[in-house]
Parts: sequence; C-alpha cells; structure tokens
Amino acid sequence: MKEADAEVRLRHASSLKHRRERGLFMSFFELVRENGVYLVTAMGKTLELTFLSLVFAALIGLFFGLLNVSKNRALNVIANVYIDCIRGVPLIVLAFFVYFGVPMATGVRLDALVAGIISLSMNAGAYMAEIVRAGIQSIDKGQMEAARSLGLSYGTAMRKVVLPQAIRVMIPSIINQFIITLKDTSILSVIGFPELVKAGQIVIARNFETFKMWAIIAIMYLIVITTLSKIARALERKISYGK
Amino acid sequence: MENNNSKISVKQLRKSFGHLEVLKGMDVEITEGEVVCLIGPSGSGKSTFLRCLNALEKITAGTVVVDGYHLTDKKININKVRENIGMVFQHFNLFANLNVIDNIMLAPVELKKMTKEEARAKGMELLAMVGLAEKAEVFPSKLSGGQKQRVAIARALAMNPDIMLFDEPTSALDPEMVGEVLEVMKNLARNGMTMVVVTHEMGFAREVASRVIFMDEGVIVEEGTPQEVLLNPQQPRTIDFLNKVL
Repeated sequence: MKEADAEVRLRHASSLKHRRERGLFMSFFELVRENGVYLVTAMGKTLELTFLSLVFAALIGLFFGLLNVSKNRALNVIANVYIDCIRGVPLIVLAFFVYFGVPMATGVRLDALVAGIISLSMNAGAYMAEIVRAGIQSIDKGQMEAARSLGLSYGTAMRKVVLPQAIRVMIPSIINQFIITLKDTSILSVIGFPELVKAGQIVIARNFETFKMWAIIAIMYLIVITTLSKIARALERKISYGK
Repeated sequence: MENNNSKISVKQLRKSFGHLEVLKGMDVEITEGEVVCLIGPSGSGKSTFLRCLNALEKITAGTVVVDGYHLTDKKININKVRENIGMVFQHFNLFANLNVIDNIMLAPVELKKMTKEEARAKGMELLAMVGLAEKAEVFPSKLSGGQKQRVAIARALAMNPDIMLFDEPTSALDPEMVGEVLEVMKNLARNGMTMVVVTHEMGFAREVASRVIFMDEGVIVEEGTPQEVLLNPQQPRTIDFLNKVL
C-alpha cells in the first residue's frame, strides 16, 4: 500500500516537473477552450440548484415569516425554533446530515441534487423567514387596520394589501440572499454534487493547473453574480409603483 | 330588546393596555342619524373608545352592541360587523400599493358585495361626490393630505356602511385642507349618516354635532348638545379644556 502511494506521488511530482520543463502548462485561453463546455455545464447545474432552492426557500420563508408576525404566541415559537435551529447549524453539517445521516437512519438514499436542494432551501428558508418578517413589520400598521376596518379578513388583508407592499421592501434583501445562496452551492461540492467547485476540482485533478483553474472559476462566479444582481436591480426599479 | 333606533350601545366599557387603564367604564347610547362628536385632551381615551366600536381594540370589560351585534360575543363574525361600520383614520391609511379607484373597489369586490363593474361605478360616483373623479387612476402618494382623506372617506362609504367612525380626520392635515374634508363630512351628516367623530374641530362640532361628549382620563365628564357643552359647560374640567382650545 505504502509503496503504491509513494509511487503515485513520485509520478505526480515528476509529471509536474516534466510539464514545467517542457513548457507544457496551458494558457488561460487553452484551459478555457478545453474545459469551457464542462465548466459552463457545471455553472448551469449551480444555477439550477440555486433557483430551485430559492423557490422552496421562498415558500419556507413565507410560511415561517407569517407564523412569526402572527399574534399567536405558539406560532411565533414554532417559527423562532426553526429559524434558530437552522441558523445555529453550519450548512455543511446540514448537508452531511441530509445526504449521509438521513439515509443511514431511514434507508432512503437521496440523490445529490435532491439532498442539495433540501439543505440549501432549509438554510436559505430560515434567512428568508427573517426577511419576510422584517418586510411585513416595516409596513405601517395602519394599512392592516384600514383593511380590517372594511371587513376584510386577516388573510385577505395580508394578501392584497400588506404583502404586496412588503415584497417591494424585501427585494434588496432577497437579491442579497440569492447571491449568498448561489455562493453557498459551492459547499455542496462536499456531497459530490457536480456544481462549479466540484467540476473545478475534477478538472484540476487531471491537469494540475491549480492557479489558473481557480482563477477561471472565480471569474465565472464573478460574472454570473454581477450580471444577476444587475438584472435584479433593474427589475426592482421596474416594479416600484406610483413613485 | 334595545330601542329600535339604537345603533351603538356601550355599557360599562373598560379598556386596559397592560396595567394602564385607558377607559374606565363608559356608557354611551347612539341612535340612528346622530352625529356624536368626542372631544377631550389627548390621552383621554377618545380614539381608544372609537376603536372599540369596531373591535380594532380588544374590549377588556363591558359590552358594546353595534347594529345588534354584541362585539364581545366570541361567536359573532367580526368581519361581517365591520362591513357595516366605515372608519376614517387620522393618517388616511390609503393602500399604498393600489391606485385610488382600486383602493375603493378592493373591499366590495373581495367581499363579494358587488361585481367589479358595480364597484367601479359606485367608486366613481363616490369620487365625484368628494370631488376627486379625475384622480381615479392616481396612486395615493401623488395626492395631497386633504385629497387622501377624501378618498379614504369614499373608500369607507363604498361598503354602504350605516355607521361611520372618524378618528381625528383632520388632525394630520395642513390648515388649508381641513375645510374640504369637513365639507364632505357635513354632507354625510346632512344625509342622515350615523357618525361618531373624534375631533379637535370645535367649529365642526358646534355646527354639525347632534351631541358632544367631553371625555377626560377615560370617563365621560360631560355630554349634551353643542350649545350645552361648548357654549355653557358645567364641569370645571370641560371649562378648563375649552378655554385652552378656543
């Protein structure tokens, strides 16, 4: 065993040396050309994971956020327990728990994508719940009172009057959460989901271009996140009404 | 049974916020078509009293009967009761996400009182009545305070309520806009609407009220016709208050 290990290491080292001597290290351009399709596909998977997780996170956040602003103490407690538990556990632990722990206990094997979506949406859902709570609480109480005074139920008043205004307040925070979740997908490389970081590791294991490859991956994240936040900001301006 | 014409019957109403008792046993009877003005220093409980009449505040003790509904009865559907009680707030509280006509149409349409077409027609009619027909498609943020309050009155009237509550409707307005709002309210009063108005507008109270109630520290100190309370007050606290505001 040990000899085999040593041999691999030796071959690795000599291959690096060999490449360096012969000038076989590739340029950025060549690396991009060679791995571009693979990396873009991985970025696609990263975005897929982000979007799906955020959709579920939004639902979870809306649910717990509404529990949190309710007048019922028991519902407040439920929401706070969820939020505290999730915020108190690192995402990587949650991912390990969902991907490795839960199947061990239940015998149900989860796909890495499914486990990833569950972990990320549970995590982002807790932060979304706080965004929803803060958004609703930022709306003047008079709006709810006026709606109730007309005979509208709490639910209708929330749906037709308070939430439409709260969402507008929430948009910058939601964009922020979106970016955080997009970056958090990289943590899911640990459960083997082929998102961008995992793809980068796979490519580097083949070509040893550590410096350039991580630079390429960083730039890819940078481009996507900057573009998306620009689009989101334009959207934010578009949906503001009456001002 | 109560008097047939009784619209609001309040008996020994008490309201506390934590340890602070704001209303200390109030008895008020209001009959159909009456315009009752509540006056008194700030902190005297006028607004809290008003907000108990449509259960925006939880009633601590006593009974409030509005339109025959006991508000303290857990079995009543408070939303149904509120459909018949319009309320106008100091800070207008127009729905910021809806334009003027949608503000007015929301409740009648959502509560299936009217179709969209009927609600729009009714809304336009009410806007014409308050002199704001041309503002139907405008968002509240574009309106002046006086215009906002007139829209708020139209919105409350869209549900065809038979009682209107006004919570200091002109207190947040610039002086030059007070008149236009009071004019709309006078019109309502002339048309027989039952109104309860918390106000500092003594002129309005004198001219329009059928009864004035002076409150201080959570109790009714004095009540009667405007002539009695405003021009010939009997209680030292009423005299003191009127001297300060007039």
